[in-house]
Amino acid sequence: MKIRTTKYIIKDGIINAYRNKLMSLASIIIVTASLLVFGIFLLISVNIKYKIDDVMQKQLQIEVYCDSKLDETQVDSLEVQIQKNQYVSDVRKVTKEEALERCKKLLEENGKILEGYDQSFLPESFIIKIKDPEHIKSVVEDFKKLQGVDDVGFLEDNVVELSSISYWTRIISILILIILLSVSIFIISNTIKLTVFARRREINIMKYIGATDLFIRLPFIVEGIIIGFIGAVISFVITYYFYTTIEGQVSKGIVGENFNFIDINSIVLYVIGSYFIIGTMVGGIGSGISIRKYLHV
Amino acid sequence: MVKFENVTKLYENGTLALSGVNLKINKGDFAFFIGPSGSGKSTLIKLILREEETTEGDVIVNGFNVSTMRRKDIPHLRRSIGVVFQDFRLLPGKTVYENVAFAMQIVEAMPKEIRRRVPMILGLVGLSKKASAYPNQLSGGEQQRVALARALVNNPALLVADEPTGNLDPETSWGIIKLLNDINQMGTTIIVATHEKSIVDAMKKRVIALSKGEIIRDQEKGLYENEDKNHEIHN
Ligand SMILES: Nc1ncnc2c1ncn2[C@@H]1O[C@H](COP(=O)(O)OP(=O)(O)OP(=O)(O)O)[C@@H](O)[C@H]1O
Ligand SMILES: [Mg+2]
Repeated sequence: MKIRTTKYIIKDGIINAYRNKLMSLASIIIVTASLLVFGIFLLISVNIKYKIDDVMQKQLQIEVYCDSKLDETQVDSLEVQIQKNQYVSDVRKVTKEEALERCKKLLEENGKILEGYDQSFLPESFIIKIKDPEHIKSVVEDFKKLQGVDDVGFLEDNVVELSSISYWTRIISILILIILLSVSIFIISNTIKLTVFARRREINIMKYIGATDLFIRLPFIVEGIIIGFIGAVISFVITYYFYTTIEGQVSKGIVGENFNFIDINSIVLYVIGSYFIIGTMVGGIGSGISIRKYLHV
Repeated sequence: MVKFENVTKLYENGTLALSGVNLKINKGDFAFFIGPSGSGKSTLIKLILREEETTEGDVIVNGFNVSTMRRKDIPHLRRSIGVVFQDFRLLPGKTVYENVAFAMQIVEAMPKEIRRRVPMILGLVGLSKKASAYPNQLSGGEQQRVALARALVNNPALLVADEPTGNLDPETSWGIIKLLNDINQMGTTIIVATHEKSIVDAMKKRVIALSKGEIIRDQEKGLYENEDKNHEIHN
């Protein structure tokens, strides 16, 4: 295909989207509506995940107790090994002195019992923050296997439970997102089918005077992409506006309890990405496919 | 240029539209397909354009064997023929100018060439003033002339017109027929399906008369009515 033909095809797609104003408008509204339904759920589920992780993050600490016989360098090399683990976000070393202090505090007034004891019988340990709650179990197992590690413990008891909640929330929201995505794709591609159906005669005529399938199809694809693109832009603007407004209201404390939303800027790429991919891909591919059956003349 | 060999066309609903048609139209010919409504004139044309497939026999057009050609070659066949359809088939979403230009765009003509040729052809059919109108803003006769302009714009070696004067007043009809004649003088092969007696009689061109799907007369310099009972059938 020649460059001038490509130019013509793009121009024709734009002109057609403009001239079939009513159909284009209807399609844009439908694309926007289905993207919004998808987007709202996407935002809700990301926020739930964020909240759960946030709660967990605070409790997501494990403590690795070293063998008390280790010398200084062995402890240091263990620390290096721990830091190498990809799920570890922060490591804090608890020295023997600190450990003794902690023990004293635990025993409260009975702390006197420890008086005169040498701290050397206490092991050094590391308090470790884990990045992702779902990996906490495997991280614990890994550390147990390290040479020089006596034991690994949780700082809180309910971590394992919480981590499975986080896991299931994610699975369920992914499932719902997939369903909503399929519904959006179904609705958008049916809208496109309708617009193509309304112009089936035009497609036939082009074929009768000798246009190739590709030559007829490409402007429709361009048109579908334009409609999907505009729908995506509108959905994004609406989403952004409402999200930031609601976020502002809620964090001012109007709802009562202080509930932090995820900052829109940190998820903006997901929202834009999914809108534009769904909008333009479904628009373009949908048109390309729906026109097929009218080409056989 | 166009050859029918023992062609039979049976539509899916059981209508026998053509049976045992043998026909040869040479380069530079001007031929009328005549016959009453339903005699099969449009069916002949549809077979030439591969709008319909033959039930039996072969149709050969511009070197393409239309009855056996592959689907992907059909656009090439159609581009080699200029067509005026009985129902015009203008693109409703495009202006007059764009409708004519479209025929050039599908053969990937240079934009410069398109800008030069389209206005010229529109002038030729007397529609320069309607260039930016849409088909539904035109009268039947005007639409017909747009269809003719589109058929002519690529300078095809073969021009096929189904009732090109069906909707026109006598004066415009004559204009169109004269135009077709001029184009024929320049070497284009022309096939016109019509049941307009006055035109056929005045032109004295080759007449191929159909009745109930069969060729009943094929005559050089013929008239609409058969005045000579001993006409020759030639192939
Ligand atoms: N698509 C079709 N399906 C079934 N039958 C058809 C179809 N098209 C045409 N026919 C039938 O085939 C016969 C020939 O039709 P055709 O259109 O070729 O006639 P025609 O000579 O062009 O008539 P007119 O002068 O009215 O245009 C008619 O009996 C018609 O009813
Ligand atoms: Mg007819």
